[in-house]
Amino acid sequence: MDYDVLVIGSGIGGMESSIKLADMGYRVLLVEKEASVGGRMILLSKVFPTLDCASCISGPKMSSTVNHPNITSKTFSEVESIRRTEDGRFVATIREKAKFVDWAACTGCDMCQKACTVAVPDQFNANLAARRAAYIAFPQAVPKKAVLQREGTSPCIGACPAGIKAHGYVSLVRSGKYEEAFQLVLDATPLVGTLGRACYAPCESECTRAKLEGPVPIRLIKRFAADRHYESADGSPAVEVAEANGRKIAIIGSGPAGLTAAWQLARKGYAVTILEKRDQPGGYLRHAIPAYRLPHDVVDADIANLTALGVEIRCNAPVTDPEALKAEGYDAVILATGTQVATRMDVPGEDASGSVNGLDFLAAVANGQAPDLSGKRVVVVGGGNVAMDAARVSLRLGAAEAKVAYRRTRAEMPAHHVESKDAEAEGAVFELLVAPTEVIVADGKVTGVRMQKMQLGAPDASGRRSPEPIPGSDYVIDCDLVISTIGMSPDPTPFATLADRRGRISVDSKTLQTAVPYLFAAGDVTAGATDITRAIGSGRRAAHMVDRWLNDQPLDGFTALDDRLETISQDSVLARQTAFGHRHPVNGEVSLQKFPRDFSEIEAPLTIDQARAGAGSCLDCGVCSECQQCVQACPAFAIKMDQRDKLTELHVGAVVVATGHKLFAADLKPEYGFGKFANVITGMQMDRLLAPTRPFNTVLRPGDGKVPDRIAYISCTGSRDKTVGNPLCSKFCCMYSIKQNQLIMGALPLADVTMHYMDMRAAGKRYEEFYTQARDMGAQYIKGRVSRIVEEPNGDLLVRYEDIEGGGGIVEASYDLVVLAVGIQPNREVERLFGETPLGLDEYYYVAEPSAEISPGQTTIPGVFVAGTASGAKDIVDTILHAGAAVAQVAAHLEHQHFTEEVMA
Amino acid sequence: MSTEAVQPGADQPEQRRIGVYICHCGGNISDYVDVNAVREALAEEPGVVVSESPVFACSDGTQHDMIDAIHDQHLDGLVVASCSPKLHQVTFRNVAKRADLNQYAYTQVNVREQASWAHPHDRAGATEKAIGLVRAGVAKTRLSDPLEPLVVKTEPRTLVVGGGIAGLRAAIGLADLGIAVVLVEREAELGGWTGRFGPTFPDNRLGSDEVDELVEQIRGRRDITVYTRAELTGKAGSFGNYDVQLTLHREGSDKLLEVRVGSIIVATGFDSYAPDEGEYGYGMDGVLTLPEFKAMVDAAPSGPLTVNGRPVRSIGYIYCVGSRQEAPGNEYCSKFCCTATVHASLQVAALDPSIRQFHVYRDIRAYGRNELLFNESRDKGSTYLKFADDNPPAVSKLANGTLGLTVTDLLTESREVMLPVDLVVLVTGMVPRQNTSLVELLKLPLGSDGFFNEIHPKLRPVETVVDGVMIAGCCQSPRTVGESVAAGLAAVAQSAALLKKGFAELEPLVARVDPDKCTGSGACLTTCPYEAITSIQWEGRTIASVDPATCKGCGGCVPLCEQDAIDLLGYTDAQMRAAIEELVAAQPQKEPVA
Repeated sequence: MDYDVLVIGSGIGGMESSIKLADMGYRVLLVEKEASVGGRMILLSKVFPTLDCASCISGPKMSSTVNHPNITSKTFSEVESIRRTEDGRFVATIREKAKFVDWAACTGCDMCQKACTVAVPDQFNANLAARRAAYIAFPQAVPKKAVLQREGTSPCIGACPAGIKAHGYVSLVRSGKYEEAFQLVLDATPLVGTLGRACYAPCESECTRAKLEGPVPIRLIKRFAADRHYESADGSPAVEVAEANGRKIAIIGSGPAGLTAAWQLARKGYAVTILEKRDQPGGYLRHAIPAYRLPHDVVDADIANLTALGVEIRCNAPVTDPEALKAEGYDAVILATGTQVATRMDVPGEDASGSVNGLDFLAAVANGQAPDLSGKRVVVVGGGNVAMDAARVSLRLGAAEAKVAYRRTRAEMPAHHVESKDAEAEGAVFELLVAPTEVIVADGKVTGVRMQKMQLGAPDASGRRSPEPIPGSDYVIDCDLVISTIGMSPDPTPFATLADRRGRISVDSKTLQTAVPYLFAAGDVTAGATDITRAIGSGRRAAHMVDRWLNDQPLDGFTALDDRLETISQDSVLARQTAFGHRHPVNGEVSLQKFPRDFSEIEAPLTIDQARAGAGSCLDCGVCSECQQCVQACPAFAIKMDQRDKLTELHVGAVVVATGHKLFAADLKPEYGFGKFANVITGMQMDRLLAPTRPFNTVLRPGDGKVPDRIAYISCTGSRDKTVGNPLCSKFCCMYSIKQNQLIMGALPLADVTMHYMDMRAAGKRYEEFYTQARDMGAQYIKGRVSRIVEEPNGDLLVRYEDIEGGGGIVEASYDLVVLAVGIQPNREVERLFGETPLGLDEYYYVAEPSAEISPGQTTIPGVFVAGTASGAKDIVDTILHAGAAVAQVAAHLEHQHFTEEVMA
Repeated sequence: MSTEAVQPGADQPEQRRIGVYICHCGGNISDYVDVNAVREALAEEPGVVVSESPVFACSDGTQHDMIDAIHDQHLDGLVVASCSPKLHQVTFRNVAKRADLNQYAYTQVNVREQASWAHPHDRAGATEKAIGLVRAGVAKTRLSDPLEPLVVKTEPRTLVVGGGIAGLRAAIGLADLGIAVVLVEREAELGGWTGRFGPTFPDNRLGSDEVDELVEQIRGRRDITVYTRAELTGKAGSFGNYDVQLTLHREGSDKLLEVRVGSIIVATGFDSYAPDEGEYGYGMDGVLTLPEFKAMVDAAPSGPLTVNGRPVRSIGYIYCVGSRQEAPGNEYCSKFCCTATVHASLQVAALDPSIRQFHVYRDIRAYGRNELLFNESRDKGSTYLKFADDNPPAVSKLANGTLGLTVTDLLTESREVMLPVDLVVLVTGMVPRQNTSLVELLKLPLGSDGFFNEIHPKLRPVETVVDGVMIAGCCQSPRTVGESVAAGLAAVAQSAALLKKGFAELEPLVARVDPDKCTGSGACLTTCPYEAITSIQWEGRTIASVDPATCKGCGGCVPLCEQDAIDLLGYTDAQMRAAIEELVAAQPQKEPVA
């Protein structure tokens, strides 16, 4: 048996049970779902009727709990299930939730919390204030250790094939940490400026804010960070680099995959040489994407990140013999040559002058060899992004007409919607449901394209409906230039032996290693035409694997993409919001004109205000943004983003359920306006306002920070109330209200405190005297229920109530602040604990005690006991005595178990 | 025993290294005392090498800081200026232990009760006083000597005083844990109040059945010895080894019995409030107290209910008789009586639903699940009328021989109504039982309400200031059957935690005789209330000797010795003198910030 007793919950009942059992010599396993022991009591101000500080009572018990030699406390853990075995013992499955912090190393210094860029409501301050996603539960937490709240991968990050932490840099920009935002992207790829412009931003499509007013302008926020960095860049390396390790890597191709792989390897200390067959680096970033979308100086600035680290880029250096590279002393080679072969139309006349493929056309323009198309008519065949680029470039070169001929309809067009829309806005014309059958040539020059009309037939393998020719529907589009953009594929030479039948280099998709061990391949050369993000993701992967391979490590551990937490669903993000601030969407401004004549960048950057406002609309879907600030701030290197939940099965002799209660959700009484009226708060919130560790330095009303003069209490909020399904009395609310009444009169001597009550239930040792004391201090107690609260324009609250003792009339009174004395609700998490033979509950879902009078604490399952409010309303004193009763019976159960065992043996 | 080796104050100690912690206690102290001024003043004291002012000295974080400081700064003394030693002396002694510092090199200074709470309107004065108190604590600590607790074997047997429901259940609970039990009950029958009850709430079982079952269980237990018609009449020894004397009242003569027990659980129950003659008509025919009424209802066959042969058609209940008022009766609320009355009224409704029942109350305190009974009683036709605290109802005799209950009902626009009823039930609460001899014998502390007092309702809810003597049930405060039983079992847990170890650690803060100085005058021998001092022969002379296990450290013998041959370990004359000198010393050099 691993432990004698499992105690679930470390509130006052759980701690009391654990300490007493441990004092008796039993080995106790205490499981607590929060990061600290202590439950709710440690969050209170003072406790009735002695007015001891809650901390002074709870704090030392918390300390005794975690320091007791017989208690093993697992905080931030949950009991997944408990099974009773045939011998009357129990097997408990414990989930130690990932904290993403190595608690053995964490010193509780708070630096992560200070560095964190995400703020969420602080449940330990009853949501009156915010805490960070990296947090220590509260100042008196025991153990005082930090936790990162990660609810999953944010959808924007989950959507990024490059594994770039979009949420992270958005969060950093929101916090004004612009350079850190740039650095976060730079950690993945040097192509920060490029992505800020030319990325198709799958992150924005997944952005949860898109379901409300419109997505966070994630791409433009990245561009903002990049532009800001490059404005002051001086050519020195932007990152720290590991010491040279003496190893050499050759990378063939300088597109996004090759550049990214080079970047990652150079930072690890490798001597990297990029071999580029063209005379300028950048691959399709420079040679295919037109400058009005991605200016060449931006590509240059991105590449300068790389060269600043000493990466050599050899242009005009086509590779013909990879084995020669090995012989030259390169330890590994990464092939990243992309898709260099344009797909042919295979129609007559295709090779005539005036008929080009889009890749050659765009590359020529990029290299300053743009043809003059003034007054020319251009037909672009194809419907992808390259087609749009070719049409729009043609228009900029003076074309009088740019027709895009596509064989299906607009809906099937592979180009991104924004691209086709912008192309149209600039003057491109779409000819849809047509396919070329011949390039018409006269005098060696193109004069037109013969087109055949098409119709859509049955869906093909990709799900798109296949175009079928309509016989006899030929016609000719007159033109001077035909640009074909119907696809591209890798050029496997000189690696043909490694390529599949489509010319793609065959690799293991996880390791990117080819059949030749030292040869890895990354990007489109392995996958066919994709996009920049996938190329970058692949480049990162290749660099990681090459490094592993050269260090004789197993080819795994690529956490950036292979070990992400499950992406959190947008619905759950929306469901957890209590209120939405409406945010005007921030959109980029693109200046489009018909027949543009220059190649200047068409999209305007975000202003600093736009960038921060846009970033400010982020909903922090995964909570932690993965911005890495805590990782860098932690002096103990304790942040472990790769930590995961751990399940353990443990054998125990008995179980104490001390799972406590929930507080009534006050918004279920809409007539009191909680959640709607800022100055209506709960009793728990008032306790926080009064506590020594209070969020503000005084009692104030949340609406406007005013120190209240007239404070009303409404007792029995959610208790003794059949309208909310709870006829039970919660027992402690009268008393905590009286306590708060006294504390308020101490803190705010001029304030008037009035309590609207049904019956004052000051039942307990010295409770009545405590009530008398409050009345003597000047608190007013008015019998009668409150029927409604109305908010006045200045935030004051008009309370409508029955004044029974004053004659029974309906009266209205204005207050600055209303405190709802909310009561107790069952914590229904216990229902799932015992699986198929569940713990017996009473009709109000509290743990049933079949013999409440003679064996308080006994439940329906032998060996399972209950301590505290899990079995119904109790104040702290009653909870402690109830725990004592449970302990005596747990011990009796264990003694009997030992005895039986000895007899049997 | 290591205390023998210690020569307190024998030679002037070399410079001590003392850590001082002045607690904010959230704001309990820092709101009224300038803790920073105290910290700065103490930092200048000779021998003080650490002076800190944490927000909560008792928090785990600060405890760790103290342990680190003890190690890193090689501290040999620790002073925490915070709350009463009753609250946290054990806490900080444990800190010292965990840091391998002798726990008696720790001194707790109470600046909360003695400075901040005592002088909430005089910040400068409270601060000055706090500085003096902490300096005195430091002075005492400077002269402290390492002491070790006296370890004694404990007797695995508990004496339970009182055979009511709490005592009976506690006895079984103890026996379940392998601790033998001696139970004494003053009456001839076990069961106390509950044993005489019919249905009880919330389980609705007969109290007599519940008691019978427990008694039956006890009969089958060889490790529980029960003495009825018996009382505790003597106690000697100390925690872990109390020698108690029981007097068994037997025909003809009393028999005395000596038993050794490790601990004592007192569960002597309560008395019911007895109204004065004429209080709400008490003494009139048809006016009953709650226990009288309960007995009548419990005894009633299936109906109808009769009083003195007359059928009862209507009942009026007057709540809070003797409770929640200054006089006559008690200030406190008796907690159980509202629900008990509501529950009894449901019994009546079950006997005869046509009986009209009027509840004249102040607040119905049917807390928690008891609210369901309150709801049910209204559903079954009970009528509730609320009277103002300063306008109580009156009972009169009507011409037709029935009773008139006159009340100004707040729930009907404060109209005065007169209810003719056959029966008036005075809802009387619990009062502390007169147990003067037991209180004196065990030195049990009483609260202002006359019930036995625990050390602290949340930290040590069943323990008394007398080591090894616990309290449970209604002798501590009014409560229900279930709550009394829970307290009884909590006392079982506490007792077992002490006894199951097999040994106990006693305070070594005991008197010690310096044999060289003692002249054997014998002056001390008769003063000791614990008979811990005896005469012995030492090097041919007669001198006094103190048995450390029996000595309670009361210090009563110390001033009587003309030779100053007796000192109290932990509170030596030298220590007390040094502390007093600090307290009367000149004003602090540094003016505290007002």
